[in-house]
Amino acid sequence: MYEKRLDNRGFDELRPMEAETGVVPNAKGSARFRIGNTEAIAAVYGPEEVKPKHFEKFDRGIIMCKYDMLPFSVPDRAKPGFDRRDTEISQVITNALSRAIRLEEMPRSMITVRVYVTQADAGTRCASLTAASMACADAGLPMRDLVAAVAAGYIGGSVCLDLTKDEEDLHDEGATDVPIAFLPSKDEIVLLQLDGKVGHEELNEVIKMGKIGAMKIYELEKEALRRRVSNES
Amino acid sequence: MTVENFLYIKEIADKGLRINERDAFKFRDLKIKTKVIRPSDGSAYVEIGNTKVIAGVKVMNGEPFPDRPNEGGLIVNFEATELASKYADDRITYSIEVGRVTDRGIRESNLIDLSKLVIEEGKKAHFVFVDIATVNNEGNLFDAANIAALAALLGARYKKNGTDEMVGLPLDISKLAVSHTFAKIGKSIFFDPDAEEENSAEARITIAVSDKVNSIQKGGAGFFTAEEIDLCVGKAFELRENTIKLLMDSTKEA
Repeated sequence: MYEKRLDNRGFDELRPMEAETGVVPNAKGSARFRIGNTEAIAAVYGPEEVKPKHFEKFDRGIIMCKYDMLPFSVPDRAKPGFDRRDTEISQVITNALSRAIRLEEMPRSMITVRVYVTQADAGTRCASLTAASMACADAGLPMRDLVAAVAAGYIGGSVCLDLTKDEEDLHDEGATDVPIAFLPSKDEIVLLQLDGKVGHEELNEVIKMGKIGAMKIYELEKEALRRRVSNES
Repeated sequence: MTVENFLYIKEIADKGLRINERDAFKFRDLKIKTKVIRPSDGSAYVEIGNTKVIAGVKVMNGEPFPDRPNEGGLIVNFEATELASKYADDRITYSIEVGRVTDRGIRESNLIDLSKLVIEEGKKAHFVFVDIATVNNEGNLFDAANIAALAALLGARYKKNGTDEMVGLPLDISKLAVSHTFAKIGKSIFFDPDAEEENSAEARITIAVSDKVNSIQKGGAGFFTAEEIDLCVGKAFELRENTIKLLMDSTKEA
């Protein structure tokens, strides 16, 4: 049984968050998102000409997204460059952003998204996706909605929000990690992964919990973007 | 990707119909053959319709990972070989994802008791390598890879360390996590999409279930609602029984 969380948080409580935009002045849009000890910086370039040319789509734009964990972001040094995990996460982030951005309004062009994880304490793909969506909004790309992503989970009979690395590692409690991303105002799930052990009913509860967390993140994202606009004026 | 039938598939999907008149939650013909590769310790050849994959298992000795001195290892690798697809960009986007999702299903269900693979703590352990190659990609590589990997593992026999005794892997077959992939086309959800359906689909979801849900992977640029996911998970549990039956039959007769 998991009755009290390792860091004494409530089961539906997120870690402390920070969000800001415009952190990479050279980029068309950029953002930093921190949740607990997990932090990601995202930069967006484009729309620009598609390279390599054969990726071009005649009726819509494409997203080239790269997610990377910096060598100093984890307790052991992460090997620089892309491994299989980075490639897969880049793919799922691309999938989510492809729904959020109105790519049909920018045929034959390419959006480049780069995300660096500067610190990792679980939930890096969610933090990266949240940062990337803010950066896209900051770049002024046409979007259906922002993406709000959070890891929900199921540990020893309890539905939890925003797992830490220590919680993810509670294998004896059957810790199950469920990264999930919403277009919050539309109730659309654009990213969903799961690994662990969870029953059908419990999974529905986990997804509901994810929505609660995503709504809070959504408010923070909007607030950060509003702040940016009011600073500029 | 081809544009053949692209609009037609979308159009009839709105009426809940599929191009090959298949029911929404019906598998194509599933064929499983085991012990097809001589030099391997376990192998399987799986056909789902015209999708064909081969999985081979090798059990090798190695040094345990420093953070898990009391466990052997499981390594799953998937190869979307270039001979397998007429759709040029398939090879790049699929390969790693399929391998990793297959790996997660097997690992998270605790099908293999890795602690029983240790020979000497911290020094020597058995490593189970599962390599899966595509022979022909006609859609739904996720389920084909998963079923081939499970069938190959079930039939695997290897030489126990230092002896000539051939033993099976320490498997708990009540924990077979079988993968089920659904595609969303328009408002319809179809099980086991073929290549043309995958091409027309907005989103895809792969769900591996044992007695619990062990892995989920959403793919594609579209979205699912919570209700649609609930439906797919329910269907995955329903469909599992039949797949398990085929899987067990195939490994018995060989």
